[in-house]
Amino acid sequence: VTPEEGRGASDDPRRILAMGGGGFTMDERTPALDRFVLELTGKPVPKVCFLPTASGDPREQVTRFYERFGDWPCEPSILSLFHLGRDRIDPVEHLLAQEAIYVGGGSMRNMLAIWREHAIDDAMREAWSRGVVIAGLSAGAMCWFDGGISMSGGAPEAVRGLGLLEGSLTVHLDSEPERLHVYCAALLGGELPPGYGADDGAALLFAGSELSECVASRPGARVLRIEPDGAGGVVESELPVRLLPEADAAGGAAELSSSLDVSELRGLRMGRHRWD
Amino acid sequence: MTGLCRGFTLSAMRARPAQIVAFGGGGFSTEWGNTLLDDHVLALTGVDHPRVCFLPTASGDADHYVVRFYRAFAAGRCEPSHISLFRRETGVGDPRAHLLEQDLVYVGGGSLVSLLGTWRAHGIDEALREAWQAGVVLCGGSAGSLCWFTHAISAFHEGPPRRLDGLGFLPWSNAVHYEEEAGRRGAFEQAIADGMLPGFGAGDGTALHFVGSELLEVVSSRPNARAHFVCSEDHGGAVERELPVRYLGSPATAVHAGEAIAA
Repeated sequence: VTPEEGRGASDDPRRILAMGGGGFTMDERTPALDRFVLELTGKPVPKVCFLPTASGDPREQVTRFYERFGDWPCEPSILSLFHLGRDRIDPVEHLLAQEAIYVGGGSMRNMLAIWREHAIDDAMREAWSRGVVIAGLSAGAMCWFDGGISMSGGAPEAVRGLGLLEGSLTVHLDSEPERLHVYCAALLGGELPPGYGADDGAALLFAGSELSECVASRPGARVLRIEPDGAGGVVESELPVRLLPEADAAGGAAELSSSLDVSELRGLRMGRHRWD
Repeated sequence: MTGLCRGFTLSAMRARPAQIVAFGGGGFSTEWGNTLLDDHVLALTGVDHPRVCFLPTASGDADHYVVRFYRAFAAGRCEPSHISLFRRETGVGDPRAHLLEQDLVYVGGGSLVSLLGTWRAHGIDEALREAWQAGVVLCGGSAGSLCWFTHAISAFHEGPPRRLDGLGFLPWSNAVHYEEEAGRRGAFEQAIADGMLPGFGAGDGTALHFVGSELLEVVSSRPNARAHFVCSEDHGGAVERELPVRYLGSPATAVHAGEAIAA
């Protein structure tokens, strides 16, 4: 599907932007992908809600969300399914009132299990069909497909998604290459249907159920179509990618932050940490 | 000789009763400085240097909560660990095996709904049942209390308190912060009058100690903490009975413990 063909399907209101990585949660310098999410709404001051469910609603992601979106013309909000007792938000009502929903990365298995308990999966399907722009990275990108490759259980493995989009997706092609091997094995074993792979900073835009175009926040970020070649292997074909305005001209890969919290916890596990 | 020792250990392990200690609120999560409930559950393991695993799932594995656990359960008096179900790639490799190796599993508070969904996605519900039946002491407060029961009244969401299903290890119902949260008591009594299982309303500072599925006693970290048993009446409605509570501190430390809570 070429970008030109994809745009023909634009009377379908449903939009999903599936990012292989990047954006504010990964501390990407350029705001290109995050800004693109707002642009897709076509609204001057869109309501945008961030869901950090897959990471357990950490404060750090909430802070980063407001740091990035707080100064832009939009109405940003957070939906934390771990803090409904504090926030007193009706989650389904809140989601359906948005113009864009941005889903963070983390444990895809946890996120989908928690969504199911709170009936968020049905709310997402409803929001999508009403034309709320759905965006997300990593677990928040793969979840819309039939399945993806998640590290939810420790080692990379195929995990079933919500199935709004046909096919499958694997993410972080460049920063976590071990996923691709497991993905190809899952395609060949019939666990996952054929699909796509995306680098950090690259994203697939779907209009309705069709791939409309691929975009990137830095030169060189790739999107691959990956499918079995019929002879026991897979064939990867690189799709055309449009560089977004504000893209990182230096072409630097998205930088994963290694926060103090994480290194502290690792220290704890190793029994090295002292508190006093 | 070796065979004899092994035989002795096995029979000793089999003798460990299934125990759950359900806090109405308290322990290191909310009573920093008052260690009575946490000391009590450590002692219940019957082990000098017990292995204690913290499950912070209901908080989304909040870093600050994990840090507080390691401060409260310092390595000097136990062997502390935790399982993060949001960061499986870096933590304990096999959560089930790890849970079965523990003397005490301590479940943190937060969202009961999110907790149960996440546990089921990783088979933690079944692993905990195995651990409980093998004599690993299970405890926790708030969501970490409600989760063990068949029915629970929770208000950790929008709207009024509502009835939720827990894991069902204990064939009763439960409400926490029973004395402190406005409307909790009424919601609990109404739900039981409407057909929810009879059960226990536990106030902050109380802990319900179950052996098997029967309540052994109620202990407390505060001199005036209260707990109630509520059941339905034949002709409709619910009846509430206050339970005897054993204060774990000595009378002389009562004032001191109260100050610690206030601070």
